[in-house]
Amino acid sequence: MQSEYALVSKSAPLPASPRAGKYLVFHLGREHFGIRVLKVREIMGLQDITAVPHTPAFVKGVFNLRGKVIPVIDLRRRFQMPEIEYSPRTCIIVVSLSGADEPVPMGLVVDGVAEVINIAESDIEATPAFGNELDTSYLLGIAKIRGEVRLLLDIDRALNVSQFEALTKFANTASSEVM
Amino acid sequence: MAETLRNESVECELRQLVDELAARSMSDLQVDAAEARIICERFAMLPRLAAEADLGELSELGQSLLKVLEGADVTRFVPSLRDAVTQMQERVEAVFQEHKAPADTRAVDRIEGIATDEDMSLADPSLVADFVVESREHLVAAEEQALALEKVPDDAEAINALFRAFHSIKGLAAFLGFDRVYRFAHEVETLLDYARNREIVVTSSVVDVILASADFLSRCMDAIQGGDLSTVPSIEQPLVERIRKTIEEGTKPPESCVIASEAAPAIETTPVPQLLEIEKIEQAEVAPVQSAAKSERPAQIAVKAPQARSEAIEISAPPAEAKAQGAERYSIRVETTKLDYLMDMVGELVIAQSLVRTEILDQANPNSNLTRSITQLTQITSDVQRTTLSMRMIPIGQLMRRTARIVRDLARKFGKQVEVSLEGEDTEVDKTIAEELADPLMHIVRNAIDHGIESPEQRLAAGKNPLARICLSASHEGSQIVVQVSDDGKGLDRSKILKKARERNLVSDVQLTDADIVELIFSPGFSTADQVTDVSGRGVGMDVVRRHVEKLRGRVDVESRPGAGTRFMIRLPLTRAIIDGLVVKVGDSRYVIPLSSVREIFRPVESSVSTVQAKGELVLLHDRLLPIVRLHREFSIASAVTDPCAAVLIVAESEGRQFCLMVDDLIGKQEVVVKNLGCFLESTPGVSGGTILGDGRVGLILDVQRIEVRA
Repeated sequence: MQSEYALVSKSAPLPASPRAGKYLVFHLGREHFGIRVLKVREIMGLQDITAVPHTPAFVKGVFNLRGKVIPVIDLRRRFQMPEIEYSPRTCIIVVSLSGADEPVPMGLVVDGVAEVINIAESDIEATPAFGNELDTSYLLGIAKIRGEVRLLLDIDRALNVSQFEALTKFANTASSEVM
Repeated sequence: MAETLRNESVECELRQLVDELAARSMSDLQVDAAEARIICERFAMLPRLAAEADLGELSELGQSLLKVLEGADVTRFVPSLRDAVTQMQERVEAVFQEHKAPADTRAVDRIEGIATDEDMSLADPSLVADFVVESREHLVAAEEQALALEKVPDDAEAINALFRAFHSIKGLAAFLGFDRVYRFAHEVETLLDYARNREIVVTSSVVDVILASADFLSRCMDAIQGGDLSTVPSIEQPLVERIRKTIEEGTKPPESCVIASEAAPAIETTPVPQLLEIEKIEQAEVAPVQSAAKSERPAQIAVKAPQARSEAIEISAPPAEAKAQGAERYSIRVETTKLDYLMDMVGELVIAQSLVRTEILDQANPNSNLTRSITQLTQITSDVQRTTLSMRMIPIGQLMRRTARIVRDLARKFGKQVEVSLEGEDTEVDKTIAEELADPLMHIVRNAIDHGIESPEQRLAAGKNPLARICLSASHEGSQIVVQVSDDGKGLDRSKILKKARERNLVSDVQLTDADIVELIFSPGFSTADQVTDVSGRGVGMDVVRRHVEKLRGRVDVESRPGAGTRFMIRLPLTRAIIDGLVVKVGDSRYVIPLSSVREIFRPVESSVSTVQAKGELVLLHDRLLPIVRLHREFSIASAVTDPCAAVLIVAESEGRQFCLMVDDLIGKQEVVVKNLGCFLESTPGVSGGTILGDGRVGLILDVQRIEVRA
């Protein structure tokens, strides 16, 4: 899996701009991200979230989305950013991740959403390498819109479900060792 | 190459032709003369096309059919024509299958060669999936009917239903190109045809054959579902032999015809598969004198002698079939995902409704229209909820009859005489529960027959009826279903159980109560059988029962009286989707504990709590020491009550072991709808799922067993 990612990010520009299109822009602190509109199911204000024990720290818990129980990820924690108090602008973006059989819904807690923008291929630059310190494999690229930078997220990679499973397992073994 | 190409185009044409014929003959009961002529013309094309494709057999078939049709009043024979066309259709499919993998064209030889040929269908996977589902249903129905038939051997309804089941499977298999299945089903169908025409008497050996055939076909279905039919061992040859022998034996004393009219005095009853009848007609051309009587039996194609025969057709063209189908309940297949969605939505509706209701009842005048409307709304919502839940329910009868079948087989195997009685077959239960219940029931009846029920001689000696009874019953008890299996055998053998348990060091020599002894039979690997048979003795039985039932959030109890019998009682929730839960509070969080695993709730006094090496905690309850598991520690919850004497201890049980869960407080008992936590959270230890609580928040349902294992 890992090597496959590396291959993709290092290889020459992808053919025929799969990256261009409509993006929902949200922010975490001062960083602005773009996420494909097609991946977004809905945006909602902060809900009552029930914490689930024995899960990685970035898993906030689960909430009730019209009768379905949906997991919620704190995107700040996921990207190892400092936590802040939730504000009235804090919201949950519900995205559909590509699962094995069917789309997997998941909520993301973000500081706020801004707008939906159209991004042309010409606005997008390849993600520069930041060395081993920073894993950028979950970025599709970086877009410059009106002089501002938007990090285009490959949400399926940023929230890789199978990776989570491994993490959950790790968290479990870790916690049972403590006990 | 060129030849195959030509064949393909001819094949295509042939198929179209047959399909058209089918459409025409199926379209309406009334076929007028003009239509009949078209049909005849179409039939006339058949032999030519078949000859062109170098399909000698098919050509012959077509010719003989044509001859039959010529000069006859086609309109009178629509039902038989229809059958002929159906057979033709199947035949065309079968022949082409064969043609691809060349084999002898003579049908008799083909059937002989069943075991060798294992072609897979290239049909649309979704069609295949439907085929498997449908065939399974047919097989289940067939099994039930076969058992019914054993009790009442001349039950025409049952024979017809059986015939229909195998016939449908045969037709579908031919259509999808599962040649092995098709040919095998055809053999069974032949046997049933004899039974249907009362040319053989349905004895239990006939039922045996039918059941064995159904078993074989269901193995085929498993293999087809698994994607490879060839994984099924080629055991059909002996089975086919058995079927044929059964037919032969059954028909030996040539009973004179039942369907026959006076015009046909002697009917030859050699075992001839139905399809071959067409060949017989063809032979009739060669030796017309003898064959007039020969072709009499299967009414379908015996169209030759005009008057008397046609009556026979009318009579035997199964009117029972129509009746039986009319009696079936109308139903449609709905995807379970849709039902689940509906259930989610209804759950939300109930929550939204109750929020509105609380608001209104707080503010509005109790006598206002608004209050009345909301009361009505409440009623409607709960009705909708009940209906939605009932949609997943099926009567448990099917499962019970399947178990009855196992009893029958095992009883024969052990030379014991057992009569099964069923009670409460209409009791409804969630489909998934019914499916999961099959295994435990099987183990219990195995156990009953192997260990519980004595041999006929022993029973006589004990002054009992040599015919033992096993009773399967089901009933509703609140929101649970209670399934009981009782036998009138010798009961649990206390001393034997104790002896075995000592041998295996399961118990020390302390005094054991009856309940403790019963408990022993549920321990893994336990068996009192003196020798290991393929039925029992490996000791995997009872602990499987318990594990299965507990997985379904139910419990199993045993009652036994020496010499008088044993009774197993399984209590299960009606559905997996809803459970009775105890809602508890720990810190700020609320959790749901399945009520099925709760035994007792109490608040300890200080003197009863003791610690082990300052780590493990134990509490003394009814002279027993139970470990305490602090839920707040297990789940790392801050701000929870830490003093056991200020908290509440819940005695939970899993696999016979009890322990105490420490929580802050009880909130109440509630029926909760179980929801999946989804994707990666599913495997979270200690949590088996979530539910939407009354205020719309998610509450986690605890997995008591895994908490106990971890703690």
